[in-house]
Parts: sequence; C-alpha cells; structure tokens
Amino acid sequence: MSDTAFTGLILLAGALFAVGCFGVLARRAILVQLLSLEIALSGPALAFIVAGARHGQAAGQGMFVLILVLAAAEVALGLALYLRLRRRSDVTDSDTLRELRH
Amino acid sequence: MFGIVWTTDLLLLTIPSIALTGFMLLGLDPLRLRAFEIRVLAILGGVGPLIPMLVFATECFHGSCIGAVPIFTLVVGESTVALALQLDPLSALVGLTVSIIGAAVILYSVAYMAGTALGDLRRFFALMHLFLAAMLTMVLAGDSIVLFLGWEMMGLCSYLLIAYNTTSAQAIRAGRKAFIMTRFADAMLLAALLLLFLEANSVRLDALIPAGVAAQDGMRPIIAALLLGGAIGKSAQLPLHTWLPSAMAGPTPVSALLHSATMVAAGAVLLIRFAPILAAEPLLQALTAILGAATALFGAASALVQQDVKRLLAYSSISQIGTMMLSIGVGAPQAAAAHFVVHAIFKSLLFLAAGDIAHHSPQGTALAALRGARQRKPLAFLAFLAGAASLAGLPVITAGWWSKEAMLAAVWSAGPILWVVALATAVLTAAYATRAALVAAQPAPAAEAAQDDSSDTGYTLFPLAFLGFGALLAGGLVNPIIRFLGGDMPHAPAFTLAVAAIAPIAGAVLALALAPGAADTPMPAARTGGRRASVVDRVLRVLVIQPFVRLVRWVNGQDGGVEDPVGTGPARLVVWLRRTLAGPTAPDRADRLYKRAFVLPFLQLVRRLNGYGSGVVDPLGNLPARAVLRLQRALADALAPDWIDRWWRRIGAALLSIWTSARRLQTGRVRDHGLAMVAGTAGLLLLAWGYSWH
Amino acid sequence: MALTLLILFPFLGGVFALLAGKAEATAARIAAAVFLICGLLTLAWVVQHGDSGRWIMQSRHAWAPALGVNIILAIDGLSFILVALSLALGLLTVVLSWNSTDRAPLLHAALCWTVAASNGVFLSFDLVVFVFFWEMMLIPAFLLIAIWGHANREAAAMKFLIFNAIAGLGLLAAVFWIGATGPTLSFDAFEVAKRDIPVAAQIWLLLGFALAFMVKLPAPPFHAWLPDAHTEAPTVGSILLAGLLLKTGAYGLFRFPAMLFPEGMHVLAPWGMALGAFGTIYGALVACGQTDAKRLVAYTSVAHMSVVLMGICGGVHFSLMGAGIVMVAHAFSASALFLLIGAIHDRVHTRDLRELGGLQRSAPRFAAAFALFFAATLAMPGTANFLGEALVITGLFQVNWVYASITLVSLVISVVYGTRLFQRIVFGTARKTPVSLDLSFRELGPVIALAIGTLLFGLLPQFLMFGLDTAVNSAVDSLNAAAP
Repeated sequence: MSDTAFTGLILLAGALFAVGCFGVLARRAILVQLLSLEIALSGPALAFIVAGARHGQAAGQGMFVLILVLAAAEVALGLALYLRLRRRSDVTDSDTLRELRH
Repeated sequence: MFGIVWTTDLLLLTIPSIALTGFMLLGLDPLRLRAFEIRVLAILGGVGPLIPMLVFATECFHGSCIGAVPIFTLVVGESTVALALQLDPLSALVGLTVSIIGAAVILYSVAYMAGTALGDLRRFFALMHLFLAAMLTMVLAGDSIVLFLGWEMMGLCSYLLIAYNTTSAQAIRAGRKAFIMTRFADAMLLAALLLLFLEANSVRLDALIPAGVAAQDGMRPIIAALLLGGAIGKSAQLPLHTWLPSAMAGPTPVSALLHSATMVAAGAVLLIRFAPILAAEPLLQALTAILGAATALFGAASALVQQDVKRLLAYSSISQIGTMMLSIGVGAPQAAAAHFVVHAIFKSLLFLAAGDIAHHSPQGTALAALRGARQRKPLAFLAFLAGAASLAGLPVITAGWWSKEAMLAAVWSAGPILWVVALATAVLTAAYATRAALVAAQPAPAAEAAQDDSSDTGYTLFPLAFLGFGALLAGGLVNPIIRFLGGDMPHAPAFTLAVAAIAPIAGAVLALALAPGAADTPMPAARTGGRRASVVDRVLRVLVIQPFVRLVRWVNGQDGGVEDPVGTGPARLVVWLRRTLAGPTAPDRADRLYKRAFVLPFLQLVRRLNGYGSGVVDPLGNLPARAVLRLQRALADALAPDWIDRWWRRIGAALLSIWTSARRLQTGRVRDHGLAMVAGTAGLLLLAWGYSWH
Repeated sequence: MALTLLILFPFLGGVFALLAGKAEATAARIAAAVFLICGLLTLAWVVQHGDSGRWIMQSRHAWAPALGVNIILAIDGLSFILVALSLALGLLTVVLSWNSTDRAPLLHAALCWTVAASNGVFLSFDLVVFVFFWEMMLIPAFLLIAIWGHANREAAAMKFLIFNAIAGLGLLAAVFWIGATGPTLSFDAFEVAKRDIPVAAQIWLLLGFALAFMVKLPAPPFHAWLPDAHTEAPTVGSILLAGLLLKTGAYGLFRFPAMLFPEGMHVLAPWGMALGAFGTIYGALVACGQTDAKRLVAYTSVAHMSVVLMGICGGVHFSLMGAGIVMVAHAFSASALFLLIGAIHDRVHTRDLRELGGLQRSAPRFAAAFALFFAATLAMPGTANFLGEALVITGLFQVNWVYASITLVSLVISVVYGTRLFQRIVFGTARKTPVSLDLSFRELGPVIALAIGTLLFGLLPQFLMFGLDTAVNSAVDSLNAAAP
C-alpha cells in the first residue's frame, strides 16, 4: 500500500470518527446519537484494517472483528435502553435525562 | 439462748407488758374492732397494769422488795448488756402512783373521748397505753438501757399525743416543739448514762449509781450536770420550760397523764433515783435547788396571770415540779417523792375535773369556760375544789399541805433565802388555785346556763371521786412514804410551820382581793332563783366562802367591792406580772427569746444550706463539681480556641468549597459528559504525543 | 467453692432472668428469686459447715498467677451479715418489682447483678479482684438509675457514675502501687497485711483507698451524687443504693484500713472523725430544709453514714461495734423509708412535702409503718439504730468527748428533720390528691420484713454483736498493735 493511500485512508478514518463524535455531542435525539456512535466506531475500525494491511499483519482484522462485536453489543444495549425509555416516559431528548447527576 | 432464767419475779414484766399489749392490739390494723371492743381493750390495758403492780407494791411495802430482776445478760467481747427490771421502794411507790393515775385517766377518757371517730379512738388509746407502758418501764427499769427506752418512748408518745388532733397546725407545732426540746434533755441523759456505763462497765442501775458516786477525774460533776440537764428538760424547768404550756394543745386526758405522773414528773423521778450522785456534788445540788426555787416562783407567778385553765395548770405543774427539784436540791429527795405522789393525785384531778366541766364548752379551755360548774357539774366542781385546795395546800385538811410542809421544813434547814422563795411560791400557788376555784364558782352567763352536757357516767365520776378523796386524805401517807424511802421527816421550828400554814390563806385572800367581783358572787342565793340550793352550796357558803369574803373585805378595809381595781396593791401586782411575763395567752418571754436566739438562726442556717438567698443548694456537696468546673475554666477554656483544630476545620471548609464548584461540572447530560470524555481523551493523547516527541 | 457460689448464684440469676425473660416475663422474676434464694441457702450452708475461728470459711483459686492475681474469698461475721443483707435486700427488691412491666427481665437482672457485685466486694480479699467487683457494682446500679429512673435520670446516673468512677481510680492506683512495690507480685490482702509498709507510704495508700470508700459512703464533700441518685432512682434502685452500695463503702473502711494500714490509720483517723462529725451535722441540717421526701431521706443517709465513719475512725471496740450495727440498721430504716415514699409516689405522683399530707386519715397502715421507721430514723431506743448510735457515742466518749457531743447534737437535729418528714406526710390534710390506697400486700411483706429486722436487732442485738465481734476485735487488735 502506498503512503498516499495509507494517509488518505487514515484521514478518512479520522473524519469518520470526527463526524460520529460531532453527532454524539451535537444531536439531542437519542437514536441519532446511537447512529453517530456507530459512525464514530467505524472510524477506528477502518484505521485498524488500514494499519493491518500496511504492516501485513492479521491482528488488524482481528481488532476489526472485536470492534464489530463491541458495536453490536453496544447497539443492542443502547436500543434496549432506548425502547425502555420510550415506553416508560416517551423520552427522545437525551438532555432531559439528568437523574444520573444525583 | 438469750440467757433468760424464768422466775416468778419475771412477772414484774407483766406490768408494762399489759399496757404494751393493749397498744399492740389496738394498733394492729388487721384487727377489726367495734367501739365497744375498743373501750373494753382500753380499760383492760389501762387498768390491767394496776393489778400486778398492786401485788408487787404491797409485797414491797411489807418490807420484801424483790429488787433487781435480770431479764437477760449478754456478754459479747468487752460489751456487757444486762437488761433488768427493778422493784425497790422508789419504783414500787412511783410505779403504783403511775398505774393508779394511768388507770383513772384512761377510765375517764373512755367517757371523755366517747364522741370521736373509731380510728381516732383506737389511735388515742393505743398511744395512751404506749405512753403508760413507757413510763412504767422507765420507773421499773433496773438498767440504763431500759430506763432510757421508757424515757425516750415517752417523748415520742407525747409528740404523737399532743399532735393527736392532726388537722390542727397549732397542735402539730406544739407536739414538735415538745419533742425537740425534750430531745435536748434526752441527749443529755443519754450522755450521762453512757458516761456512767463507761465508769461502771455495766448498765445495771445498782452498779451505775455507786460507780457514779465514786467517779474520778472530774467525771462526777459532768455526769451530775448532764443528769440535771436531762431532768430539767423533761420536767420543763427553767430554762427549758417553754414546751409545756404549748403542749396544752393535746386532749385533756393527755395533759392529765402528761403532767401528773408521767413525762413531766419523770424528770423529778430521775433525779430522785440518781440523788446519790447529785448529793456527792454540792455545787450541782445547790444549782438544782436554785433552779428549782426559781422555776417554782416563776411558774406560780405565771400561773397567776393565765386566762386559760390548761395553761394555768401547765404553769402550775412547772412550779410544783420546781418545788420538788428544790427539795431534791436541798437533800430531801424523799420529801420530793412524797410530793410527787400527792401532786400526781391532785394535778390529774384538776385536769380531769376541769376537762369535765369545760368539755364541749364554746370557750374551749379558757378559764371562763369553768363558770357555772356548780350548777352544771356539781360533782366535778367539788372535785375541782378539792384539787385546788390540795394545790393551794390548805392546812391539815388537804394532802398538799402535808407534803408541802415536809418540803418547806427540809428547805428551811438549807437556808432562809430558799425558804422565803418557797414560801412566796406557796402564797402565789394558793392565790392562783383560789382564783381558778372562784371562777368555777361563778354562775355561767345566762346564754350558757341553758345548755347542758351529757350527764356524767361512772367512767368520769369514779376517777373524780377517787382522786378527790385522795387529794384531801392522802396527807396521811406523806410521813410513811418518807420513812418507807428511808428518809426522816424533816423538822423545822414551830414558827416556820405557823408561817407556812398561814401562806395558803394569805394566797387565797390575795386571790379574792384580785378578783373583787368574784368576792360577791359566792353568795348568789337570789340568782339561783327557783333552783334548789344544794347541800354542797350551803356547806361551802357557810364554811369556806363567807369567812373568806369577810377576810377580804377586812383586808381591803371596806365593805363593798373595790371601786378602782387597778389602784389596789394586789391588782397592781398582777398588772406588773402580766407585763413582765408577757401575757396570759401569748408565749412568754423565754419562748420569744428562744425563738430569736435558737429557732430563727437555725432556720436561717438551714435555709442558707438549702439555697435560699445565696442560691446554691447544698453548697458543700456541690463543691467537687464546682471545683472541677473551675478547673475546666482555668485550664481547658484557656486552650479552648484550639489552633490545630482550627486549621483542620479550615481545610475542611476549603474542601467543601472545592467540592461545590466541582459539582457544578456534573450536569448529568449525556452530551456534556461525552464532550468531557472526548476532551479528556484528546488531552491524554496530546500528552502522550508530546512525551513521545522529543 | 461455696463462697464462689455466693457470687455466682446472683450473677446467674441475672443471666437467667434476662434469657428467660425473652420468652416469658414471669420466668424472669422466678429465675431471679430462685437464684437469690439459692444464694441465701448457700449462706446458711456456709455457716453450718464453717469454722468458729477468725474466718468462717476461706477459699483460694488461681486465676492469673503470673500477674499475682488469685481469687481469694473469705467470710467472717461482718461479711456474713452484709452478704445476708445484700441477698435479702435483693430478694426484697425482686418481690417489690414483681409486677413491673417496663423491661422487667433486664430490671431483675440488674438487681441480681448489683447483689452479685456487692457480694464480691464483701468476700474478696485479693485486692485486684476486690477492685474488679467494686467497679462492677457501678454498672447495674447505673442501669437501674438511667433506665427506670424519674425525669432527670440521665443526669443523675452520670453524676453517680462520674463521682464513683473517679473515686475508684484512687483505689486502683493504691492497689497497683501495693502490688508493684511488694517483694513478689501479689495482691493478696492477707500477705499485704503482713508487710511492713513505711508510714508515709501507708498514709498515701490509705488516702487512695479512703477516697473510693468515702465517696461511696458518702462523706461530705463527696456526697452530692447521693441525693440526685436517690431522688431519680426507682424505688428498688433507691433501696439497693441505700441498703447495699453505701454499705460497701462502710465495709471497705471497716475492713481494709485497719487491716492493711494500721499506722496510717492512726495518723488519719482523727481527720476522719472530724469529717464524720462535720458530715453528720451538715447532712442533718441540709435534710431539715428539703422539700422532696426522697432527697430528705438521702441527706439523712449522709448524716447516718457519717456516724458510721466516726465510729470506724474511733477505732475502739464500742465505736466499731456501733458502726457495724448502724450500717445494718440504716440499711433497714432507709430502705423502708424509700419503699414507703416510693409507694406514695406510685399513688399520687408527687414526693413534694408541701403537697402531701393526711396519710393518717386516709391510709392508717401506711401511717403506722411510717411512724415506726420515723422512730428508727430518730434512733429511738428499741430500734437497732439507737443501739448502734449509742455504742458509737460510747466509743467516742472514750476517744474524744467533743465528737461524742456532736453526735448527740445530731440526734437532736434528727428530731427536727424526722418530724418534718413525718408530720408533713402523715398529719394534716393533703394539699393535693390524698393517698387513698393503703399499702398492698406485696408492699406490706417487705415493710414487715424490714420492721422485724429493725426491732429484732434493736431488742435482741446479740445476733449482730456475735457476728461483728471477730471483725471488730481483729480491727482493734491490729490498730492497737500499731499504736505509736
């Protein structure tokens, strides 16, 4: 892999993460925040793959699979919580959920 | 086990025991008794002691006194306790007198107390029995412990009996006063007995008295003085006399028993008993005589101005026992004992008769309540006259004259000054006795004449008649008594006898002169009107009153009544006496002086100790606590702003403010926390990058 | 072993009362009563099988030999009388609180433990064990005041504890000093008695001992805990305080100074007598002004126990004998007065003398009982109190007539406070609610028992005098041997 391609892909990965981060921080809808979280996770996943390809090692792909599992678990948990919240008090705005402060 | 050896002599124990049993049966609450049963028990317990006493005393009068009867002897280490009773001539004589008077008084009170509630009646007779038992115990005691037991129990009983009317504050005060003042005497007697015990190493009287006489190291005067002090307090002699007039708040039978043969007379009995010790100390003997003479004169003078018959009789008791003390002081205790017997008879008679006359009177016990006695209660009136005559000591026909004569003769041998004092006492005594009799002879005001009390029953008549005859006829006993006790009839020159015989008559004249109105009243033939003038009246008028009235008129040098009563010499005397002795009903001067000198300072001390004024209750008890508090103030409070502690506190306060500002970061919003995480991660990454970048 | 049982039985009685009370309240009081009766039976056995010499029975068990601490128990007439008194009073208080409902098992346990600890005090002759029981005694007594007391109970209980605990330190220090300075590490009182302690040291040691004893006695100025404790304690607590706890102080003074520090006693006894003379007058004077009936009786306790102090410090046969008798007599009379006042308080909820009155009309049995114990407080002849005080005065006349006269004066003042107490309650009319209910049978039993005790020992004192004789003689011998 050329250096250019590598740099570009790493930048892409950084951008994906930045977009995800922004989404999580800027949006208030819980579902959108979950989506953004997925996007943010895909950034590092891409970076692992790229790095694995660059160094010719399989560990990068292993890490990708780990992140995939992590994302799936996280989405499952997040969606379950979201559904629970919807059912309990019809909440979609994460800013209204401040009980954890106490 | 207790070392008791049973002999028939121990039956001596029954004498006080019968009265004591009466007390216990009446005092026993679970025993339900009706009024009749109470009365029966009262009479049994009151008269019962007389029977064994008569037996023992008769034996003793025939020359075989059984002497000391040991009850039990106990030796523990050094201490020996040998309790015993004793029947010697003195205790036989006094014991017999006490049980006769006790029986008479209790019989009389069965009628006198008839109207009282059942519970009170029980209490009254129970206490009377205990009182009688205590006096008998004291008289028959063969050792100092039993003696003191009786002596002290009498004090307690007198307290409870004087305060018998427990709703009357005055009665309670009087009882308490009597108890406290006699307790002074008791303490002195206790000290004397304990010192005697240390001298003799035995409590038996037959060992104590010789040991007291033989005491060395200056012990004897101390013992004798303490004995004298004990007797003075109990007998209400100067200067401890003030409790007796107040003690009149008790019921009349109580006064009758208290004054005649028990309590008050116990002091005289004590001194007669311990006369050998006193005789060994001439100085104290002289002191006894002087105190006795002074008391006799003072009591007689005070009695003259009383307006209350019971107070009059109280001062009379003080005075009469003073003469006994005088007699003991001049070395004639036997004559004193004879007078004790005679005095017991006529004084109880006077109380009982006066009580009978004035019972249920609206005037209470004021002298005026006696008026109209002649019509209402002729027998009680006669009895009162007999008692008063005996008290006055009318020559030959009364018992009082004989015993007084014996004492005066004894006093003559001791010195003319004391004799003159005694003579003056005799004159004054006759004066107040006559005065009381004159009041009793007056007819009652019309308003009162109508009301008639319950008729007399045998319960009142028998004691009155018996004691009345005794008061007149017991004079024949004086000489035998003195001989029986081992003394000689004192002899004095004939002219002193003559002077002494005139003294009562002079006193009677003085009394008539004092009460000019009274001089007319004995002859109110018209006023009795339709009433049958009784034989009594006629006899009295012809034999006694008319000659007196003539004599009085002759003394006053006029035929009619006195126009200006204050102007006459005798009346001036009374006014002066009244002023000096401070009133007929008010507490006398000594009483007020004691109040100022002892009672009030004592109260003040108690108040001070209880936090009135200064504000600290029990100051000494609070001392340790206050000391600790002061120590705390001195040491701990100086270090109270603890600087180290203050720094710790400041750190705590700072932490608190940091915490509050840090807390503000915690918004609880997911986004804020996410931002913080991102920023933190970025920061960490930057840091790592910075470290790796050299 | 029998002596150990004398302590163990009441202790176990308390434990069983507490355990049984969980299930059934009746079982608790029966357990307490049965174990106390067992204690009395043991005592009877001890006398039956004991010697007639100086000690009726002695026993010795090793406890911590390395520390020189052994359980040394011994009983002579003095201890016997006091142990009998404590067991009997314990039983009496259990009977008296039979129907108590407020944490009854714990109450009965506390009563039993007080008895157990004071029995330990009366029997122990190893000084460390003695101190152990001495301090142990405070705990159940503290509980009695603090749990079942009246309005100000906490303050009174704390005052009681602070006074006595601090005073106990003096005893503790003295005991450790004795142990540490001996040739071998031993706290055996019999061995200490044989040691030749220098006079100066004896004085200091005696002061340490006396501090504890005098606070418990109590002698002025250390008496302030007593009125508060008595006033606030429940009736049974007051009875045990007056009948037992004060007696432990007197017992200590009676037993140990003459036994261990006779030379020191010769130096300090005059001061003790002076303090006692002062205390008897002071206590009597303060009593004269009290308005609370229990407080009044508490101050009379100060006066009477000061007489005991004088008698003990007099150090002659008569005064010591008298002190012993006053101890017992006061236990009876003061307990009875507390009982009666407590019974009044149960009925009309006041002890204020200004509000009471008229008992004689409304409750004659009450009044009669009051009259008897009033007479006992005044030391009327015929009561044990008189005998004791008369013997003390006799002894004091041999030592110093001034103190004898002061005691006589206190007898006079006793009439002032005695009549105040008596006539305010018994005479007149009640200013508030009258006491309409007379003594119940459950109250009458203890009252009669105490009355019999007072009169029996007053009229037939030989039981007491025989019992006290050996202890008195050995104290006098020990003091005489040390006379300068």
